[in-house]
Amino acid sequence: MSTTQWILLTPQLLIATGVFCSLLLIAWQRSQQLIAWFTLMSFVVTIIATVSLLEHPSHQITVLMYIDNFSLFAFLWILFAGIAALYMGKLYLRKQIEVHDEFYLLLQLTILGAGVLVASDHFASLFLGFELLSLSLVGLAGYFRQQRYAVEAGFKYLILSASASSFMLLGIAFLYSQTGSLSFSSHVVGAAQNVIAQLGFLMIITGIGFKLSLVPFHFWTPDVYYGSSTPVTFMLATISKSAMFIALAKCIYAEPFQVIVTQRDVLTALSILAILSMIIGNCLALRQRHVKRILAYASIAHMGYLLIVLLLHNQQSIAFAKQAVLFYLLAYIIANVAIFGVISLTEQEQKCTESFELSHWTGLFWQSPIRACVVIFAVLSFAGIPLTAGFIGKFYLMSLATNNQLWGLLSALIIGSGIALGYYLPIIFQLFATLPDSRSLLTTWRTKMWLSVVLLISIGLGVFPNLIIERL
Amino acid sequence: MIIVAIITILILLSITAWRSDKYFVHGPKFIALFAIVFSLFLFVMYLLQANLDYTSLSIVFEHVWIRAFNIKIQFGLDNLSILMVILTLFLASIAIVISWREIIHRQGFYYFNLLCATAGIIGVFTATDLFLFFVFWEVMLLPITALIAIWGHEHRFFAAIKFFIFTQISSLCMLVAIISMALVHQAHTGTLSFLYSDWLIIDLSANTTYFMMLGFFIAFAVKLPSVPFHSWLPDAHTQAPTGGSVLLAGILLKTGAYGLIRFVIELFPSESIQFAPYAITLGVISILYGAKMAFAQSDCKRLIAFSSVSHMGFVMMALFAFTANAFNGAIMTMVAHGLSSAALFSVAGIIYHRIHTRELTKMGNLGVNAPWMAAMSLIFVAAAFGLPGLANFIGEFYSLVGVFALYPVHAIVASIGMVGSAVYGMKLFQNMFHGTTSNQTSIQIKDLSLSEGIICVVLVMLLVILGIYPQVLFQYHFQGGI
Repeated sequence: MSTTQWILLTPQLLIATGVFCSLLLIAWQRSQQLIAWFTLMSFVVTIIATVSLLEHPSHQITVLMYIDNFSLFAFLWILFAGIAALYMGKLYLRKQIEVHDEFYLLLQLTILGAGVLVASDHFASLFLGFELLSLSLVGLAGYFRQQRYAVEAGFKYLILSASASSFMLLGIAFLYSQTGSLSFSSHVVGAAQNVIAQLGFLMIITGIGFKLSLVPFHFWTPDVYYGSSTPVTFMLATISKSAMFIALAKCIYAEPFQVIVTQRDVLTALSILAILSMIIGNCLALRQRHVKRILAYASIAHMGYLLIVLLLHNQQSIAFAKQAVLFYLLAYIIANVAIFGVISLTEQEQKCTESFELSHWTGLFWQSPIRACVVIFAVLSFAGIPLTAGFIGKFYLMSLATNNQLWGLLSALIIGSGIALGYYLPIIFQLFATLPDSRSLLTTWRTKMWLSVVLLISIGLGVFPNLIIERL
Repeated sequence: MIIVAIITILILLSITAWRSDKYFVHGPKFIALFAIVFSLFLFVMYLLQANLDYTSLSIVFEHVWIRAFNIKIQFGLDNLSILMVILTLFLASIAIVISWREIIHRQGFYYFNLLCATAGIIGVFTATDLFLFFVFWEVMLLPITALIAIWGHEHRFFAAIKFFIFTQISSLCMLVAIISMALVHQAHTGTLSFLYSDWLIIDLSANTTYFMMLGFFIAFAVKLPSVPFHSWLPDAHTQAPTGGSVLLAGILLKTGAYGLIRFVIELFPSESIQFAPYAITLGVISILYGAKMAFAQSDCKRLIAFSSVSHMGFVMMALFAFTANAFNGAIMTMVAHGLSSAALFSVAGIIYHRIHTRELTKMGNLGVNAPWMAAMSLIFVAAAFGLPGLANFIGEFYSLVGVFALYPVHAIVASIGMVGSAVYGMKLFQNMFHGTTSNQTSIQIKDLSLSEGIICVVLVMLLVILGIYPQVLFQYHFQGGI
């Protein structure tokens, strides 16, 4: 490996070093503050390193990894989400008596797994990242063992991850049996027409589909979302899904797989997955009363929308599609940061860590406009209303779908967006309802700053999307 | 520049109004009224000063917004949009005055939403970049939905969600059409463009244009609203507070008509001609169905809402006749309906504020105690059923004459709708101000207060002026007539 390659791998290496140093730190001194600040520092340093690498020409690193702007940006979003998760985790652990070093350690491992995923260019590294991510998240999902649903959530996630891995492994084996290579970009003639290879490819999609909770692999989502603590739910919704989607996109945009994806049968299968996810995900969310469950079903629908970018007929739109993926995921992550952040705050303030419901937000707007505005903008962004980043993301998807004449997917997206309003608007109306009784809200300057920053970012990205788009 | 200034003033003052109710509880309404009147004054001064010819669109502002997609912030004015902006500001001031006593809770946020909605609607009438137009088109929904959902009546949440979902789904169809047009432009010239002026000069010869036209048409038909997309309107109107109803009926429905003229008829002339028979048939169905349903209502706001469906049917019918007379009739009907429906909703609101019911069966004999109110209401009802000498008659007469030249059968059937309007109008007036209540007692109510009286007198004067001297409007040349 040459120096350039080492340099390009810096972000992942930094996180790995961080994990290693955290272990040493724990051995030396067990302190919640110390490990939290150390994790934050490690993330910030990695972000700086990633940003400085952005203009670098892309490079193949061994056969396993390929790092270009696409994966660097994706890793950047994941690191931002990691910082948000760290903040929420810190809020959550403030009340605990035990010292929870492991929580931060698992968080770092999750980020490392995501980092491997976004850089992967080979099924071995894909699998490695996938497992690293899953195992740390299994630990996190069941982390607060004294909570009512913790064990259930952890086990459900473990079983799901195991079945997803086995599907994926079988798929990889099928592909390998036909092509004799595990790399995304090695060109093999004749695999496209081969039924076994197509089947293998679909099995891999199934494995990833479990993680992205596409219909019909979505059954675990609401339970795990609801059972895990808020910071972990946030990680499942953003870090895990974004990283998996980026890996899938890298795989599909590679040339040999483009040939497979544009086969009619495969395309139909994927379109059906996407359409089902959009419609069913949204319909199931309608009947929910718990915010976390609503968000779980909403995330199913969002991943369904996002699948549109993978089903391109014409190769010219791939660069545009990569932009679309990055922007959409950024909008999605920001909206999630906003909404889960306020959920964390509310849970801390009203001491309802196990039973957060929509009713805890009744009349929030009249009591704390800034909190409510953060939630409102997040929800509008999910719904794809103009002047939010979510709308620009949806605009990207619609442009791609129109350009590639995917009318069926487009109709599903429109209908899905319509259904989605049926559960997004009630959340907003709840914030405007009359205040039941005066609750006490303690707003420290730190909370205020955090909320203002999130609000500014979400509005700024919606009104001036060019700031980001020009750089993607 | 003027449009940007007005929108900025409205938004800044709306935030001021929102924050001011902490210090002075009645501050917001004064600030809001000042904002609207000041904007109207600015706009009229600008027009008098500039003294330009607005027969075709002239661009008044342009700035790059999203460079990656070549999206610009561009505003343009022509006679149609000028008329619509003036109507918007005028009716917004009426909405504020009518809310003066009605809204007591959370005044700051109420007027914030009212001003934001007005700003958004002005943006819709003047934006000439289609992406920007779409943004305004969607964003103006939010404050209006908030008005319905927070200050509305008993089923307000359901009404607000229904209203939003209808508009959102149809708008997304329009967004697909907008994106397709931009891509067609890219295929022709190599660059994406969302500018209206750029779209007018590309020759459309693809077989997909018909579908693009339909995409636009659906969005505007839902807003107008035309049968079969009208079912959000009665709910939204009934549940909205009076000020919200005035905005909805007076202006929001006109955005649909404006869109039909600007983005369906002017942009896709040949496809529109192809589609005209269907559109005219929809218009006629809306006229008859709206009139019939209005007659069947016992809730006075629902009745007025269905009468709106009927009146906007005339607009739809006239627009697709492609004759100068019909087009003038459509413009006149838009203005007249804006004034008369705003007036009727105001009266309904005034009565609701006094006796807290919208049920026609619980009213009756109000005319004894409130003669002025009865007299004014009679004029408004007469306007609604097209009494000669008032503006609506001119609009409907011109529309029917214009349509008759080409589609005699449709015109004859539509004129039955005018009979229907007399029936429901008289039913409304009769049940409110004459006869007796169900329990034979007459209800004691106060007559019009000074501010309510001023609103009514101003509206009556406008209706009469436009009815007797329609040249006031017709001297201007509106694009899209032929």
